[in-house]
Amino acid sequence: MSQTLATYNIKGGVGKTSAAANLAYLAAAGGARTLLWDLDPQGASTFLFRIRPHVKGGGGKLVRGKSNVAKRIKGTDHDRLDLLPTDFSYRHMDLALDAAKKPTRRLKRVLAPIATDYDYVFLDCPPSISLVSESVFEAADALLVPVIPATLSSRTYEQLRGVVAAEAAGGPKVLAFFSMLDRRKVLHRDVVEQLPREHPGLLRTAIPTAADVERMGLHRTVLEEFAPRGRAARAYRDLWSEIGERLDDGAG
Amino acid sequence: MAAGAEYLLPEGLDLGTVDALLAGRLDIECERVRAGRRTFYDTFDGRLHAKGLVLVHEELRFALREGARERAGIAHPEKAPERLVVDDLPEGPLRAALAPLCGVRALQATASVRGRRRLLRVLDGERKTVVRLVAEEATLSRNGSGPGATLRPRLHVEPVRGYAKALKRVRGTLEGDLGLVAATEPLHDEAVWRAGGAPGGVSSKVALASAPDLRADRAAAELATRLVAVIEANLPGTLAEIDSEFLHDLRVAVRRTRSLQRELRSVFPPAPLVHFRAEFRWLQQATGPTRDLDVYLDELEGSADLAPLRAVLAEHRVRERAAMVRALRSPRTQRLLEEWSTFVRRMPDAPRAARDDALRPIAALAAERIARVYKRLVRMGAAIDEASAPEALHDLRKKGKELRYLLEFFAPLFPGPAVGPMVTSLKALQDTLGRFQDREVQAGLLRQLSDEVAQREGGGAALMAMGVLAQRLDRDRARARAEFAARFGAFAAPGQRARLRETFR
Repeated sequence: MSQTLATYNIKGGVGKTSAAANLAYLAAAGGARTLLWDLDPQGASTFLFRIRPHVKGGGGKLVRGKSNVAKRIKGTDHDRLDLLPTDFSYRHMDLALDAAKKPTRRLKRVLAPIATDYDYVFLDCPPSISLVSESVFEAADALLVPVIPATLSSRTYEQLRGVVAAEAAGGPKVLAFFSMLDRRKVLHRDVVEQLPREHPGLLRTAIPTAADVERMGLHRTVLEEFAPRGRAARAYRDLWSEIGERLDDGAG
Repeated sequence: MAAGAEYLLPEGLDLGTVDALLAGRLDIECERVRAGRRTFYDTFDGRLHAKGLVLVHEELRFALREGARERAGIAHPEKAPERLVVDDLPEGPLRAALAPLCGVRALQATASVRGRRRLLRVLDGERKTVVRLVAEEATLSRNGSGPGATLRPRLHVEPVRGYAKALKRVRGTLEGDLGLVAATEPLHDEAVWRAGGAPGGVSSKVALASAPDLRADRAAAELATRLVAVIEANLPGTLAEIDSEFLHDLRVAVRRTRSLQRELRSVFPPAPLVHFRAEFRWLQQATGPTRDLDVYLDELEGSADLAPLRAVLAEHRVRERAAMVRALRSPRTQRLLEEWSTFVRRMPDAPRAARDDALRPIAALAAERIARVYKRLVRMGAAIDEASAPEALHDLRKKGKELRYLLEFFAPLFPGPAVGPMVTSLKALQDTLGRFQDREVQAGLLRQLSDEVAQREGGGAALMAMGVLAQRLDRDRARARAEFAARFGAFAAPGQRARLRETFR
């Protein structure tokens, strides 16, 4: 059975897609059969892997179980890494879920038939709190939450923990990490110092803000492919190995 | 998903120039040439091959592939081993995929190639790879002495999931525009047979491949020769202890040989046959105790209390195995196999005196034997009641094996729908009888070993656990005994008998 990991944050622009793409790549490069499902109608992951943003029948049909998920999957340019693309129809995903029975179970249902084909399924989620995110909480074994070390981001992290804790037991682990860290900023340094004291569960690895990450869109590929020695690529490698440890040790 | 393919590269083309061949026809991006070694694995009987799978060690990892698609893989940052036992693999998808396929069988390296590969990516308008082409030159790694053979250079077409149309287009270009010819076998199959192996593995099944009107003594000779081949094929793996299935298959071939000798005795010259029957009997007895202990150790549960018993059994097995290895390596075994082969080969020319059935068509003789053994089995079974001694069931089981082997030998001579149901009901009956006997033998062995185990450290607790185990064995034995009537009833049912009369007349 595969493990489902969702990069998620209520806020946008915090490095979700970058994390999903780079971590999924690292998982596959390490030998795991990996699927990345781009759930964000903006389609940044789909674009990064050079795949056409088109889903036959649209995302709504897919989540309602009216479309064969295995046929919608595309191979990327990398061994063992596949992608389930998004398209613009995904902007109506909430409506599609709302019209379905047991909407919060839909994503999990869609993934069930391919669970044995993959070791990891990454969900790259749109920013929001909605039926989509509730469905993600239901499907995911862990949420990978990028947190910008600024006051507001920290607050949303606390909100998120609240939301997930309010769900029934057996919900996903919340694995948060600092993202877009700029050590030149006093506020960032302070938050990085302070927040782990209040939340010892935070991951140790922080992803720095780096030009490499922005250049991913230009190269249309992951960091390992064009800047493997850069700070950001190194940080993602550390992050992936730390996530691996946390998934193994069973602690939430 | 659409299938990939392997094409032979035309003569004179190498990895440096293959892109020139495709230029102008496909939008290609070439990667640099990579050199490396690949080692292929399968079980002795080709279980992966039968499922269309290949296990390969390459770039310090194992990968289980179905065509170009990887089903499961795991890092193995060491040299490719000669053999691999699934239980030794770490828990994970690869082990989970292999375990049900391999069972107790070890995976052995079947061939190893040293090669140079170059990846050519076929791109779409977004510069996304939609098909992978891998040009490959490979040489068989040296196998003993002498240089390794060079395999025909190939172009592998590997589909990318979700790009079936592009794949079709690329294959059209390769076949239509460039006239490339599809390879008749995958590279690993060519590597295996060139290394002297059989790509599909070595089967231990033996059935008559000839026509129904073949002379009975020639048919017997054909079967006997193939059984000797099975014994010889399984001998090295038995001696090297690669897995326990080698000894099992060797023993089955010996038992089948003995059945053949007994059931078709009227085609053999009688005096030499007496000698060979005695010798094969000896061979079967020489291998029996090791096999019994293999089964016992395999079935013994993992409870810690039973560790002293396990140790005692393992020691017994070491002793029994040493004796068996001596017997199998002895001139007596070698002589037996050689003389028996020569004897059956020459048999059709032997005097016909006292070989009453030698010239009859095999189908007629086989049908007669099958009908007779079946009737005998039904008579023996019908005589068994609640009060019968265990020996009656043991004898019935032996007779059942005889029938099973006859049906297997001669199945191709008779209509499948007649043989199939009989084999099925016979198998069910034999399973029950087998369980009955195994449990009895195992419980007996427990009692026999109790003194020895008691003297070991932890012997007290082990005796207690053995008591529980013996009780369980007895219960299972009683269950098998209770099942017998129903199983036998199905086997001896009137429908079955009617089919028998119709088919084996």
